[in-house]
Amino acid sequence: MEEHYKHLYEALSQVDGYIYPNEIDLHWGLMIVLYPYITGLVAGAFILASLERVFNVKVLKPTYGLALLTALSFLLVATLPLVSHLRHPLRAYEILMTPNPTSAMAIFGFVYLWYLMVVLLLEIWFDYRLDFVLWSKKSTGFKKFFYRTITLGINDTDKKSAKLDDKLGYFITLIGIPSAFLLHGYVGFIFGSIKANPWWSTVLMPVIFLFSAMVSGIALVMVIYMVVSWFRKVAIDMPCLDTIAKYLFYILIIDFTLESLDQIHRIYEAEESFDIIKVLVSGKLNITLLIMQVLLGTIIPLIVIGIFQVYKPSEKIRKFSYFFVGILVLIGIFFMRWNVVIGGQLFSKSLSGFTSFKAVYSGLEGYVMAAVWLIVPLLILTFLLWLMPPWKKVTMHE
Amino acid sequence: MGTERKLNNRRKFFQTSAALVGGTLLYALIKPFEALAQPKEEEIKTDQANLAIWGMGVDLEKCIGCGKCAEACKIENKVPKEPFYFRTWVEQYTVKNDGTVIIESPNGGIGGLKQSVPDEEIFKSFMVPKLCNHCTKAPCVQACPVGATFISPDGVVLVDETYCIGCSYCIQACPYGARFMNPITKVADKCTFCYHRISEGLQPACVEVCPTDARIFGDLRDKESDLVKFLQVKPTQVLKPHLNTHSRVFYNGLSSEVK
Amino acid sequence: MPKLIFRLFLTFIVFVGIFILIQKLLTPESFGKYGHYRANSLDDNKMRTSFYKGDAKCTECHQEVYDLRETDVHSGVRCESCHSPKIDATTDCKVMPPIVKGTIKFCAECHATNPARLKKGVPQLDFKEHYEKQNCIECHNPHAPWELKEN
Repeated sequence: MEEHYKHLYEALSQVDGYIYPNEIDLHWGLMIVLYPYITGLVAGAFILASLERVFNVKVLKPTYGLALLTALSFLLVATLPLVSHLRHPLRAYEILMTPNPTSAMAIFGFVYLWYLMVVLLLEIWFDYRLDFVLWSKKSTGFKKFFYRTITLGINDTDKKSAKLDDKLGYFITLIGIPSAFLLHGYVGFIFGSIKANPWWSTVLMPVIFLFSAMVSGIALVMVIYMVVSWFRKVAIDMPCLDTIAKYLFYILIIDFTLESLDQIHRIYEAEESFDIIKVLVSGKLNITLLIMQVLLGTIIPLIVIGIFQVYKPSEKIRKFSYFFVGILVLIGIFFMRWNVVIGGQLFSKSLSGFTSFKAVYSGLEGYVMAAVWLIVPLLILTFLLWLMPPWKKVTMHE
Repeated sequence: MGTERKLNNRRKFFQTSAALVGGTLLYALIKPFEALAQPKEEEIKTDQANLAIWGMGVDLEKCIGCGKCAEACKIENKVPKEPFYFRTWVEQYTVKNDGTVIIESPNGGIGGLKQSVPDEEIFKSFMVPKLCNHCTKAPCVQACPVGATFISPDGVVLVDETYCIGCSYCIQACPYGARFMNPITKVADKCTFCYHRISEGLQPACVEVCPTDARIFGDLRDKESDLVKFLQVKPTQVLKPHLNTHSRVFYNGLSSEVK
Repeated sequence: MPKLIFRLFLTFIVFVGIFILIQKLLTPESFGKYGHYRANSLDDNKMRTSFYKGDAKCTECHQEVYDLRETDVHSGVRCESCHSPKIDATTDCKVMPPIVKGTIKFCAECHATNPARLKKGVPQLDFKEHYEKQNCIECHNPHAPWELKEN
């Protein structure tokens, strides 16, 4: 407690201008930056998979299974930063028991459950069922036990049943697309609907969140595909990789346009909150927004991939560039979440002053914890790739 | 044939369960958006038709910024003494001759507000007590994901300390900065109009100690109350009217510089 | 009914059923009575201890002080404006008297010169000019401020 007060007294001495006395402490920290980031990765990875499944972009086939498993790995971790952030985490079940019909946050429990159980798990199940049946005949030990159980006893291997699995998987992916939009869109709405905070309150917020989620998910799958291929010592399917980068490019353009529109609109209308927001962006957020999010996370990737649409250099250069750009985009989108969540709390609702953000390393809200929540999904993914490797699948949907 | 029937059954099953699941999901999805626009204004049940609707008036022509209200509130409601947690506080506004506005509230005004700007530079200066506005259309109540903060049948916005999960969404949603996270109970906390006192016929602690009667508490439904008479006579305003929160704290003498 | 239909259907029904059951069990009983909240919380909020008792309580023993205060300019100021109760659940002023130190610092909370206090009916003093070394109550009776003590 004393430690906490010490940091608050320090923040008090660093207040710039006037803030309401209760605004000293930032209530939403790194964990709340992480949550939209992770669900964004989930939604984005899923959209990439659905590009192949529903929109028939066949060249993306090599990444279909990988994208789904990536989405699952990150989704399993998604709730954890949220629950650990609550002051009363043991009461978290109340969100499912008595969700407030007027609260955007209350949708979380249901959307998460729906997306996990009905969309992701079912889709993966339909996609892998036949493979599980076939694999269970050839494996031993834990894997055999897993494959046998997960098929739920449905061991048909004939073509008709395969076709049915296919059809149903397609149907699930189809409803999965609006579900993915809802899974991440509602997060944008959580911020966009707060009229008290002018940095958050914009109609575009859910849309911006969604498109930046797609960008981050696609970049993630792109990077993971390259890393996994490197580990497996197999050649990367370049047409596939080029196409992923192409879609990354298109969606990044849309994302950049939306975010620029939001800012241009603010600058043009210059209504009451603009004076403080101007100082916020050029001051406390100048590095995280202008350099990390815009320059490194958006402009440079756009230029690099943009050039490749016109002039295609050698495979080696492309591979290295895609990897580099993918990492940049992932960092840039992280900082986009940072700028929204932290940025929105740095200035006072009195529009007359600023407080400060104290970086902590240890503890439930620290950088170490954030790193853990980002690394654990990768460990889960490694496990899933060992358990159900997409490249060993015998069947593939049409 | 056997397989055909199996397939037909399977297809039918999936259609049915998809319909069921889809129906449930649709219901689950639509239900939250039912009251999307604003929180329901609670209808008073007939046996409570005689309940008051509480409100407060603040007369800025009388506030001297002594800070006794803020101090009394902390004592009465056991708010931690540290200068980061206030259920009510007093702000000092100093408008200088060059047009700049300085706003201060050191320790919420407890201990009396002091002026450091030299007299000759001051254009005008005044004090503004702030507190939870107990909005009729409270954005904090709208935002709470579990129903831990609510509007009582007599119009007071309260927090259920045993139910709050500590997500801080209500604190983000309040336009007036009236809410804070209590470091001891770890739930959202704010002015309750001293609900435990007004339910006994007493005045809130801040009203009780104000030496100049700058705070007027009362029942908005009672035509004879001091509050209603105050509202009738003075040209009152609420804070941030453009946000349409239907605040129930009314200020007389609210100057345009007030944030 | 083929295996698949039966098993998946069963899983679905069981899941929804368990969910609804848990919901009924874990929702607090008074929830929803007046609105989307636990109605018993109204009573919880009413149950808190009051520390400020009001002038009526003080006059049970100190009627003469009250009467004196009413004769002079502090008549609008209530007892507990200056004599804040000690925080203790069993506050009894005999046990823990809310004594006020009539220091300059204390009186300055209301009476120090501040341009924002002009024309509000409260006499203001630049305490540096007035009597810097003495406490106010050495000359002024706090309950009847204009009854000055002989120097």
